[in-house]
Amino acid sequence: MEWGIVNMSNLQKVHQWLQETSFREVTLSVDLIVTGYIFYIYLSRMYYASAEELASTVWISGVLLEVIIYSVVLMVISYIALAFVSDDELNQPMDVREKQINLVGYKYSAMILQVGVVLAMVQYGIEQQAETILFETIPHLPLHILLVAFLTAELAHYGVQLYKGRTGDIYG
Amino acid sequence: MIFMGKNDAGVGISNSIRTLRFLHDEMTQKQLAELIGVTRQTVMAIESNKYSPTLEVAFKIAEVFNLPLEEVFRYRSTAD
Repeated sequence: MEWGIVNMSNLQKVHQWLQETSFREVTLSVDLIVTGYIFYIYLSRMYYASAEELASTVWISGVLLEVIIYSVVLMVISYIALAFVSDDELNQPMDVREKQINLVGYKYSAMILQVGVVLAMVQYGIEQQAETILFETIPHLPLHILLVAFLTAELAHYGVQLYKGRTGDIYG
Repeated sequence: MIFMGKNDAGVGISNSIRTLRFLHDEMTQKQLAELIGVTRQTVMAIESNKYSPTLEVAFKIAEVFNLPLEEVFRYRSTAD
Protein backbone atom coordinates (compact mmCIF):
# COMPACT_ATOMS: atom_id res chain seq x y z
CA MET A 1 0.00 0.00 0.00
CA GLU A 2 2.80 2.32 1.01
CA TRP A 3 4.74 1.33 -2.12
CA GLY A 4 1.62 2.16 -4.15
CA ILE A 5 1.47 5.62 -2.64
CA VAL A 6 5.16 6.20 -3.32
CA ASN A 7 4.77 4.83 -6.84
CA MET A 8 1.75 7.07 -7.49
CA SER A 9 3.72 9.98 -6.18
CA ASN A 10 6.60 9.22 -8.53
CA LEU A 11 4.20 8.81 -11.44
CA GLN A 12 2.64 12.13 -10.56
CA LYS A 13 6.09 13.69 -10.41
CA VAL A 14 6.93 12.33 -13.86
CA HIS A 15 3.58 13.54 -15.17
CA GLN A 16 4.16 16.95 -13.62
CA TRP A 17 7.69 17.10 -15.08
CA LEU A 18 6.34 16.28 -18.54
CA GLN A 19 3.67 18.94 -18.11
CA GLU A 20 6.28 21.50 -17.10
CA THR A 21 8.68 20.58 -19.92
CA SER A 22 8.22 22.56 -23.09
CA PHE A 23 9.09 21.25 -26.49
CA ARG A 24 11.76 23.94 -26.70
CA GLU A 25 13.38 22.43 -23.60
CA VAL A 26 13.33 19.02 -25.23
CA THR A 27 14.92 20.51 -28.36
CA LEU A 28 17.59 22.25 -26.27
CA SER A 29 18.29 19.03 -24.38
CA VAL A 30 18.75 17.14 -27.65
CA ASP A 31 21.06 19.89 -28.95
CA LEU A 32 23.03 19.74 -25.70
CA ILE A 33 23.42 15.95 -25.88
CA VAL A 34 24.38 16.01 -29.57
CA THR A 35 26.97 18.77 -29.00
CA GLY A 36 28.32 16.91 -25.95
CA TYR A 37 28.67 13.75 -28.03
CA ILE A 38 30.50 15.63 -30.80
CA PHE A 39 32.77 17.17 -28.17
CA TYR A 40 33.47 13.66 -26.81
CA ILE A 41 34.31 12.36 -30.31
CA TYR A 42 36.70 15.26 -30.88
CA LEU A 43 38.42 14.90 -27.48
CA SER A 44 38.78 11.11 -27.82
CA ARG A 45 40.34 11.54 -31.31
CA MET A 46 42.81 14.02 -29.85
CA TYR A 47 43.57 11.88 -26.80
CA TYR A 48 44.35 8.73 -28.77
CA ALA A 49 46.19 10.48 -31.62
CA SER A 50 49.90 9.88 -32.10
CA ALA A 51 52.39 12.74 -32.29
CA GLU A 52 52.65 12.25 -36.07
CA GLU A 53 48.88 12.42 -36.46
CA LEU A 54 48.66 15.59 -34.38
CA ALA A 55 51.34 17.18 -36.56
CA SER A 56 49.65 16.11 -39.80
CA THR A 57 47.53 18.77 -41.49
CA VAL A 58 45.71 16.07 -43.46
CA TRP A 59 44.78 14.18 -40.28
CA ILE A 60 43.58 17.37 -38.54
CA SER A 61 41.51 18.29 -41.60
CA GLY A 62 39.98 14.81 -41.54
CA VAL A 63 39.01 15.16 -37.85
CA LEU A 64 37.50 18.61 -38.46
CA LEU A 65 35.54 17.27 -41.43
CA GLU A 66 34.34 14.36 -39.29
CA VAL A 67 33.18 16.76 -36.56
CA ILE A 68 31.34 18.91 -39.11
CA ILE A 69 29.67 15.89 -40.75
CA TYR A 70 28.65 14.50 -37.33
CA SER A 71 27.22 17.92 -36.38
CA VAL A 72 25.14 18.24 -39.53
CA VAL A 73 23.92 14.63 -39.65
CA LEU A 74 23.06 14.36 -35.93
CA MET A 75 21.31 17.75 -35.88
CA VAL A 76 19.27 16.92 -39.01
CA ILE A 77 18.27 13.49 -37.65
CA SER A 78 17.34 14.90 -34.23
CA TYR A 79 15.28 17.73 -35.75
CA ILE A 80 13.44 15.33 -38.06
CA ALA A 81 12.71 13.06 -35.08
CA LEU A 82 11.57 16.03 -32.97
CA ALA A 83 9.37 17.35 -35.78
CA PHE A 84 7.39 14.10 -35.72
CA VAL A 85 6.58 14.41 -32.01
CA SER A 86 6.38 18.19 -31.76
CA ASP A 87 2.61 18.86 -31.67
CA ASP A 88 3.30 21.91 -33.92
CA GLU A 89 5.30 23.65 -31.16
CA LEU A 90 8.38 23.85 -33.40
CA ASN A 91 6.67 26.32 -35.73
CA GLN A 92 5.49 28.65 -32.98
CA PRO A 93 7.55 31.84 -32.53
CA MET A 94 9.35 32.47 -29.23
CA ASP A 95 7.58 34.73 -26.75
CA VAL A 96 9.34 37.59 -24.93
CA ARG A 97 10.48 35.41 -22.02
CA GLU A 98 11.97 32.78 -24.32
CA LYS A 99 13.72 35.49 -26.35
CA GLN A 100 15.22 36.86 -23.13
CA ILE A 101 16.41 33.40 -22.11
CA ASN A 102 17.85 32.91 -25.61
CA LEU A 103 19.76 36.20 -25.32
CA VAL A 104 21.16 35.25 -21.92
CA GLY A 105 22.37 31.99 -23.51
CA TYR A 106 24.07 33.96 -26.29
CA LYS A 107 25.73 36.24 -23.71
CA TYR A 108 27.53 33.36 -21.99
CA SER A 109 28.30 31.74 -25.34
CA ALA A 110 29.88 34.97 -26.63
CA MET A 111 31.98 35.34 -23.47
CA ILE A 112 33.45 31.85 -23.90
CA LEU A 113 34.10 32.46 -27.61
CA GLN A 114 35.88 35.76 -26.85
CA VAL A 115 38.12 34.08 -24.29
CA GLY A 116 38.85 31.27 -26.78
CA VAL A 117 39.76 33.68 -29.59
CA VAL A 118 42.06 35.70 -27.30
CA LEU A 119 43.77 32.52 -26.02
CA ALA A 120 44.22 31.25 -29.60
CA MET A 121 45.75 34.58 -30.64
CA VAL A 122 48.12 34.53 -27.64
CA GLN A 123 49.09 30.94 -28.42
CA TYR A 124 49.67 31.84 -32.09
CA GLY A 125 51.96 34.68 -30.99
CA ILE A 126 53.87 32.33 -28.70
CA GLU A 127 54.28 29.78 -31.52
CA GLN A 128 55.69 32.47 -33.80
CA GLN A 129 58.35 33.19 -31.19
CA ALA A 130 58.98 29.51 -30.45
CA GLU A 131 62.63 29.77 -31.42
CA THR A 132 63.28 32.33 -28.73
CA ILE A 133 61.08 30.69 -26.07
CA LEU A 134 62.51 27.22 -26.74
CA PHE A 135 59.69 24.90 -25.74
CA GLU A 136 57.53 22.57 -27.76
CA THR A 137 53.81 23.07 -28.07
CA ILE A 138 51.10 20.80 -29.48
CA PRO A 139 50.96 21.27 -33.26
CA HIS A 140 48.07 23.44 -34.50
CA LEU A 141 47.18 24.34 -30.90
CA PRO A 142 45.43 27.66 -31.78
CA LEU A 143 43.06 25.67 -34.02
CA HIS A 144 42.28 23.25 -31.20
CA ILE A 145 41.72 26.13 -28.78
CA LEU A 146 39.25 27.71 -31.21
CA LEU A 147 37.40 24.44 -31.73
CA VAL A 148 37.20 23.68 -28.00
CA ALA A 149 35.99 27.26 -27.36
CA PHE A 150 33.35 26.89 -30.07
CA LEU A 151 32.05 23.56 -28.73
CA THR A 152 32.14 24.82 -25.11
CA ALA A 153 30.28 27.95 -26.16
CA GLU A 154 27.62 25.82 -27.85
CA LEU A 155 27.27 23.68 -24.70
CA ALA A 156 26.99 26.84 -22.59
CA HIS A 157 24.42 28.29 -24.99
CA TYR A 158 22.12 25.28 -24.63
CA GLY A 159 22.89 24.59 -20.96
CA VAL A 160 22.31 28.15 -19.80
CA GLN A 161 18.99 28.30 -21.64
CA LEU A 162 17.85 25.07 -20.00
CA TYR A 163 18.98 26.26 -16.56
CA LYS A 164 17.49 29.74 -16.87
CA GLY A 165 14.26 28.41 -18.33
CA ARG A 166 13.89 25.94 -15.48
CA THR A 167 14.85 28.21 -12.58
CA GLY A 168 13.20 31.35 -13.96
CA ASP A 169 16.22 33.42 -12.91
CA ILE A 170 16.55 35.04 -16.33
CA TYR A 171 17.81 38.45 -15.24
CA GLY A 172 21.13 37.11 -13.97
CA MET B 1 15.84 47.40 -9.71
CA ILE B 2 13.57 44.69 -11.08
CA PHE B 3 11.95 42.48 -8.48
CA MET B 4 11.50 38.95 -9.75
CA GLY B 5 8.18 38.03 -8.25
CA LYS B 6 7.36 37.84 -4.59
CA ASN B 7 10.34 36.78 -2.54
CA ASP B 8 10.55 35.48 1.00
CA ALA B 9 10.09 38.95 2.43
CA GLY B 10 6.84 39.37 0.44
CA VAL B 11 8.41 42.08 -1.67
CA GLY B 12 7.78 42.34 -5.42
CA ILE B 13 5.07 41.44 -7.91
CA SER B 14 2.48 38.80 -7.11
CA ASN B 15 -0.67 37.77 -8.96
CA SER B 16 -3.97 35.94 -8.67
CA ILE B 17 -3.88 34.20 -12.05
CA ARG B 18 -4.18 30.68 -10.66
CA THR B 19 -7.32 31.59 -8.67
CA LEU B 20 -8.78 33.52 -11.58
CA ARG B 21 -8.24 30.60 -13.93
CA PHE B 22 -10.04 28.34 -11.50
CA LEU B 23 -12.94 30.77 -11.26
CA HIS B 24 -13.16 31.00 -15.05
CA ASP B 25 -14.43 27.48 -15.71
CA GLU B 26 -11.13 25.98 -14.57
CA MET B 27 -9.30 27.42 -17.54
CA THR B 28 -6.07 25.53 -18.23
CA GLN B 29 -2.66 27.18 -18.47
CA LYS B 30 -2.53 26.17 -22.12
CA GLN B 31 -5.85 27.85 -22.86
CA LEU B 32 -4.71 31.06 -21.17
CA ALA B 33 -1.36 30.88 -22.97
CA GLU B 34 -3.13 30.62 -26.35
CA LEU B 35 -5.40 33.56 -25.50
CA ILE B 36 -2.51 35.86 -24.59
CA GLY B 37 -0.02 34.59 -27.18
CA VAL B 38 2.71 33.11 -24.98
CA THR B 39 3.84 29.58 -24.17
CA ARG B 40 2.35 27.48 -21.36
CA GLN B 41 5.74 27.56 -19.62
CA THR B 42 5.61 31.35 -19.55
CA VAL B 43 2.16 31.24 -17.93
CA MET B 44 3.57 28.80 -15.37
CA ALA B 45 6.54 31.10 -14.69
CA ILE B 46 4.22 34.12 -14.25
CA GLU B 47 1.86 32.19 -11.94
CA SER B 48 4.72 31.05 -9.73
CA ASN B 49 6.12 34.59 -9.63
CA LYS B 50 9.35 33.52 -11.31
CA TYR B 51 8.87 35.89 -14.22
CA SER B 52 7.38 39.37 -14.45
CA PRO B 53 5.37 39.63 -17.68
CA THR B 54 5.68 42.50 -20.11
CA LEU B 55 3.13 45.28 -19.75
CA GLU B 56 1.37 44.08 -22.90
CA VAL B 57 1.05 40.50 -21.62
CA ALA B 58 -0.12 41.78 -18.22
CA PHE B 59 -2.88 43.81 -19.89
CA LYS B 60 -3.86 40.85 -22.05
CA ILE B 61 -4.19 38.63 -18.97
CA ALA B 62 -6.35 41.25 -17.25
CA GLU B 63 -8.46 41.52 -20.41
CA VAL B 64 -9.01 37.74 -20.49
CA PHE B 65 -10.41 37.82 -16.95
CA ASN B 66 -12.24 41.10 -17.64
CA LEU B 67 -10.64 42.75 -14.61
CA PRO B 68 -8.50 45.86 -14.07
CA LEU B 69 -4.77 45.24 -13.98
CA GLU B 70 -4.41 45.94 -10.26
CA GLU B 71 -6.87 43.16 -9.41
CA VAL B 72 -4.73 40.61 -11.24
CA PHE B 73 -1.27 41.90 -10.31
CA ARG B 74 -0.11 43.48 -7.07
CA TYR B 75 3.17 45.16 -6.25
CA ARG B 76 4.56 45.37 -2.76
CA SER B 77 7.66 47.47 -2.18
CA THR B 78 9.95 47.42 0.83
CA ALA B 79 8.22 50.61 2.03
CA ASP B 80 4.86 48.76 2.42
